[in-house]
Amino acid sequence: MPDTHFYRYDDYDRTLLAERIEQFRDQVRRRLAGELTEEQFKPLRLTNGLYLQLHAYMLRIAIPYGTLSSRQLRKLAHIARKYDRGYGHFTTRQNLQLNWIKLEDAPDAVAELAEVDMHSIQTSGNVVRNVTADHYSGVAVDEIEDPRIWCEIVRQWSTLHPEFSFLPRKFKIAITGSPNDRAAVRVHDIGLRLWRNEEGEAGFEVIVGGGLGRTPMIGKTLREFLPRDELLAYLEATLRVYNRYGRRDNLFKARIKILVHEIGADKMREEVEAEYATMKDGALRLPAETIEAIAHQFAPPILPERPAVVPTVEALRLEDRDFALWLKSNVAPHRVAGYAIVTVSLKPAGAPPGDASAVQMEGVADIADAYSQGEIRVSHEQNLVLPYVAIEDLPAVWRALGRLGFAEANVGKITDIIACPGLDYCALANARSIPVAQRISRHFAELARQHDIGDLKIKISGCINACGHHHVGHIGILGVDKNGVELYQISLGGDVDFGKTALGTILGPAVGADRVVEAVDSLVATYLDNRNEGERFVDTYRRIGLQPFKDRVYASV
Amino acid sequence: MAKNLTGDLSVASANRLVDGVVVFLDDAGEWTTRLDRAAIARGERASAILLERARAEAFGVVDPFLVAVTEDEAGAIEPVSLREKIRASGLTFEAIAADAVRYA
Repeated sequence: MPDTHFYRYDDYDRTLLAERIEQFRDQVRRRLAGELTEEQFKPLRLTNGLYLQLHAYMLRIAIPYGTLSSRQLRKLAHIARKYDRGYGHFTTRQNLQLNWIKLEDAPDAVAELAEVDMHSIQTSGNVVRNVTADHYSGVAVDEIEDPRIWCEIVRQWSTLHPEFSFLPRKFKIAITGSPNDRAAVRVHDIGLRLWRNEEGEAGFEVIVGGGLGRTPMIGKTLREFLPRDELLAYLEATLRVYNRYGRRDNLFKARIKILVHEIGADKMREEVEAEYATMKDGALRLPAETIEAIAHQFAPPILPERPAVVPTVEALRLEDRDFALWLKSNVAPHRVAGYAIVTVSLKPAGAPPGDASAVQMEGVADIADAYSQGEIRVSHEQNLVLPYVAIEDLPAVWRALGRLGFAEANVGKITDIIACPGLDYCALANARSIPVAQRISRHFAELARQHDIGDLKIKISGCINACGHHHVGHIGILGVDKNGVELYQISLGGDVDFGKTALGTILGPAVGADRVVEAVDSLVATYLDNRNEGERFVDTYRRIGLQPFKDRVYASV
Repeated sequence: MAKNLTGDLSVASANRLVDGVVVFLDDAGEWTTRLDRAAIARGERASAILLERARAEAFGVVDPFLVAVTEDEAGAIEPVSLREKIRASGLTFEAIAADAVRYA
């Protein structure tokens, strides 16, 4: 029996990685010996995911399509303990960042990663980055097809692709296999949505030119329906058009979203289709057996039959309020009867969002082995997911997660905050994110109150690069620097739910760091005073508009 | 409140090559992790000279640059910008420890 239910490296992958690590080891040696200048070395280390941040080097490790085996998660914990300060930060791109890596240790750290078929290649630079997916892939009730099959095909095509090693800017692709988008596909350079046409065939809606950052844009659909076997050729055509026409003269205008915006979706489509016509029947057309071979590696585990209704679980739900709340917010329906999907909240009250210690990572790996087929997912909302938990085992999983501090019943609630590392770590940031998230989290820590407030997504970025996705937060918070003082600009109404993808509207003048919690409190109070039965925060905002929120916030701050 | 008592003050800083740790150039031309031992340049000309010296001593560090600082009556210096304050003194929150299962 394989130790994973997802793609396993073959000899080709392992050889490529081993060669790459030896190259990197030699590059680091030459830099430390003074044989390479920083100018020469920087692009080499970045290509291997090694950044230099405020206080230390940071290693960004790719977690393809956010899927990990327990063995891989244990290795990440080991690397964090041995080469870093014993913790890591799960990011909005389903990666893991280690914030205190030493340059001299980096080759050993990546060599250890390779032992579990992982790497940090293409987690930086102007290349196709880690391809992200719905964190419920393969287990979601509403899924058409497992998008990770296609993520893996794209990963193999894009890894060290010679033509796309020097794109105008970085390039991010996300794939969802469900109508209910959990991968934010409309705010990626390319978003792919699998769906079935009237003939029952599965194919992709190809969405191009979305993105957040300095100039947020919602992607435009270039193709309503692309047959699956044409995916790589169509992607290659799109990347080729971008490579040819994308702006290299201005860093801030170099992303594909600017190209699509400047020439228009129709012209972009025309260019891509013309390019595509020259290659559609070429080598990139995917043979059915290739697709089948990759798909086979993602075959779901054979799950033993387990009861769908479990009296002991029901009894605990009725007698323990915390368990009941956890079931409500952290447990989702599974496509197999008798099973559930558990979201492991990495947002305990007052903690840095997305951070996990080595012991916590090992603990989650143990729980995954005992109760989730040894598999873990990373969500773009900076939580972990156990995809195969029997309903019967939910009380045991809840207790085990509780012992790790990861059973907070807050998924989708006001303290399930997305936050980038911000000015505490990041060389690009203007303001801190984590301390702001911590203050909001502590203020709203009471679970009953969170559940009364309902679904509310707060997303915080420490600069305009928007790694904290503030543009698409129901409440978005952007840190800015004004004459050396941290201020926070608040926006309302952002969303990434499919069909409702929206960018937030700025509420008004930025508020001081000491007033952010008060402002959020006023926003919540306005919602509670105005909500109709069943309305979420963002629904009430859409119905009553910005003004009532604005009036209340600026009356109080 | 710290005051800039002697005109525009700056120190030279960089990240140590081997581990990225924040360092400052001292009077002896050595890189130190201690801000209180940093050589202080007073005025524009002295700052330019300090930066040149830092670049000349850049083996073992990455991209030296000048950091604007203030000095109080007791001679203690502090970076002007929040970014440099954080670089000099570290995270502004407590990170979780390797063996922790609860955030402090």
